Amino acid sequence: MTRPVRASPRGVRYFLSEGAQAFRRNGLMSLAAVTVTVVTLVALGAALVVAGALDYVAHRLESQVQAVVYVKDGLPDAALTELHAQLESLPGVTGVTYVSKGEALNRLRKAIGSRAQFQDLLARNPLPASFVVEADHPDRLDAIAAAARRLPGVETASYGEDTVGRLLALTRVVRLSGAVVGGALALVALVIIASTIRLTVFARRAEIEVMRLVGATAWFIRWPFVVEGAITGACGAVLAFAAVAGLYVIVAHGARDSLPFLPLPAPEEVVLGLFWKLLTWGVVIGVVGSLLAVRRYLRV
Amino acid sequence: MPFPGVAAVEFDRVTKTYPGGVTAIRDVSLRIAPEEFVFVVGATGTGKSTLMKMIYREVLPTSGRVLVDGRDVTRMPARQVPFLRRRVGIVFQDFKLLPRKTAHENVAFALEVTGVPSREVTRRVMEVLEVVGLAARAHALPGQMSAGEQQRISIARALVHRPPLLLADEPTGNLDPDTSWEIMQLLSQINLRATTVVVTTHDKMIVDVLRRRVIALDGGAVVRDEARGRYGG
Repeated sequence: MTRPVRASPRGVRYFLSEGAQAFRRNGLMSLAAVTVTVVTLVALGAALVVAGALDYVAHRLESQVQAVVYVKDGLPDAALTELHAQLESLPGVTGVTYVSKGEALNRLRKAIGSRAQFQDLLARNPLPASFVVEADHPDRLDAIAAAARRLPGVETASYGEDTVGRLLALTRVVRLSGAVVGGALALVALVIIASTIRLTVFARRAEIEVMRLVGATAWFIRWPFVVEGAITGACGAVLAFAAVAGLYVIVAHGARDSLPFLPLPAPEEVVLGLFWKLLTWGVVIGVVGSLLAVRRYLRV
Repeated sequence: MPFPGVAAVEFDRVTKTYPGGVTAIRDVSLRIAPEEFVFVVGATGTGKSTLMKMIYREVLPTSGRVLVDGRDVTRMPARQVPFLRRRVGIVFQDFKLLPRKTAHENVAFALEVTGVPSREVTRRVMEVLEVVGLAARAHALPGQMSAGEQQRISIARALVHRPPLLLADEPTGNLDPDTSWEIMQLLSQINLRATTVVVTTHDKMIVDVLRRRVIALDGGAVVRDEARGRYGG
């Protein structure tokens, strides 16, 4: 017993050391398995993040308690005052602010940035004047907008209902395509991981045979392979997380500067949930792949 | 050879046909008493190995029952098979030792992978290495040992769970006559320590000298079963 020995075949330490050793020994194949897991999880993670952001934007819009009532061009001041009063008297309205044509243009300039030179492009201001109507609850907006449309001098009124509907539909599409693409890639990842682990099974077939003959249980024999699969999946997940999260941080920061009116969820809100989701999926794919690999060898 | 009580091994009208149509065992019925020593003889391909594999449930019969210690192993759920195998020691012609483990480690492996506490492992391994006479070679690798020594180590591994039944499938098939003789003597000694021993062989000389029970197979069927038999009947 003076020779240095590997962890004796007992307990968690043995399973971990055998699994890690096999992962390293399979070299290029392990790398291929990790790579395909990364690709799978990047697709999955990107879909999750994009769908999450769209959902966030949609719900932010939904929870807005403002409707905008656009006024017909050339309305006299008396009519404007009259309209202002009428809007204020609608049920649920808590405040009405007038935005003139000139102010509307200023706001658009601010939102888009100073680069655009409107004066050179436009001979006259095409933006309508409007009233921004505040409601006490988002549910009231539909009735308020409908009532406002019937008032004299009103061109139209909206509270972003179409935008919200479209955003939510887009969210569903992104989720669904993410699931389809991610699912297809996950199958490929499964096959590659299973092939990689089959190399380990093959390298250790003599040991497995002896274990079976001396009465080791099937789970005892499986554990090192499950560990190898889990390591592969976890490595893939960490790399995919770094890629997706890194990209999102860059996009979110860029958007904050150039598209300030777009309310994206803050990176720190997105990142933690994403990490656990990707890690779970990576480990699940790796473990299922490893069980596929040893299934045939453990049949009695 | 009728005897009262539960048989160590019992075959009840067992037939095994492999996928592809080869019938390895044909309607075999036999009983082996506890602590008996039995030779199973016959030419290569007469079903001796299949017979052994059905005892430790590596192979399931196509029809009939195989009972070990009174338990029908053909109806045993797969998850109980490991526990059956801890009560059946198995020795092979090709030893099946792990080349990168020492003699001690090879024997200890059988205990470790079945969850025996480590403080017990060393004691029990040294015990069986004494029984096979190789305590002094505990730290040799299989490649540094003679074929006879390697077979002794594999016998030690088969014994380390203290099984009531020891199966040896052609244990002397790779050994010269003198070494074969030593291994057979070792198996006889193990039998004297209250272990049922079943040995398949086609070594005529050994069977004829030892004069133990001989079950002869031909074409998968039992053609002869004698209490103090010879190889050729």
